[in-house]
Amino acid sequence: MRYLSLPVILFACLVAPMAMAADSNIEISSPVNGAKLDAMEQNKIEYNVTLGSGADHIHVYVDGQETALLRQMKGSYTMETLSPGSHDVCIKIVNKNHTPIGVERCIKVEVE
Amino acid sequence: MDIQSLAYAVTQIIHNFGAVTVVGGSVVAVVWHESIVRRKLSRLVLAGWIVQALSGTTFGAISYYYYAQFPDLLGIAVVALIVKVVCATLGVALATVQLTGLFSEAALRFSWLAMCFLGVLALSSAAILRWFS
Repeated sequence: MRYLSLPVILFACLVAPMAMAADSNIEISSPVNGAKLDAMEQNKIEYNVTLGSGADHIHVYVDGQETALLRQMKGSYTMETLSPGSHDVCIKIVNKNHTPIGVERCIKVEVE
Repeated sequence: MDIQSLAYAVTQIIHNFGAVTVVGGSVVAVVWHESIVRRKLSRLVLAGWIVQALSGTTFGAISYYYYAQFPDLLGIAVVALIVKVVCATLGVALATVQLTGLFSEAALRFSWLAMCFLGVLALSSAAILRWFS
């Protein structure tokens, strides 16, 4: 029995990160997915993040490029000026080593 | 216990002691002129820089192991990381040349001052890397 417990513990340790990531959550309240934004205005993204175990802060990405690191879990972030066209805006939860833990929320916006 | 956090923590401990070794060893070598002591310090600091490089790489490896990706770094953090890598490379090179005995006394003294500078620069870059990523 003692010998059987070792692989069980090892397995539990390996799958633990996946379970921890499930505790985390991201909500983007504004803009909504598919929203049309004005290129001449300052566009803000409003968010509410719940950090689960292993999560530390969030990164913001525009079209796959990281644009900001945020440690405030609820609030807004003013995006850099976006060129006209379609853009993907994502928020990812990362750990202390700045590695995305697999929890992210993305929206698509149309800038005119 | 969370094995992932433990892995990061152990790596951080090793990385921190590597930093103490490269900066502390270099500072001692600047003020201590005995050649036998300096030679031992060259070995110690060389080991310190190698530990720094390996433990730094391990941070990325742990991330890759658990999440199949490396840390996401912003522009300024990428610069800080490059500075750290350059410091470690130069640190290993300088310490290796010191051990070959090719340096004159003046060159040796300068190399230890350079090693101090590299250590301080790497430590400062680490703070930027930590908080600006």
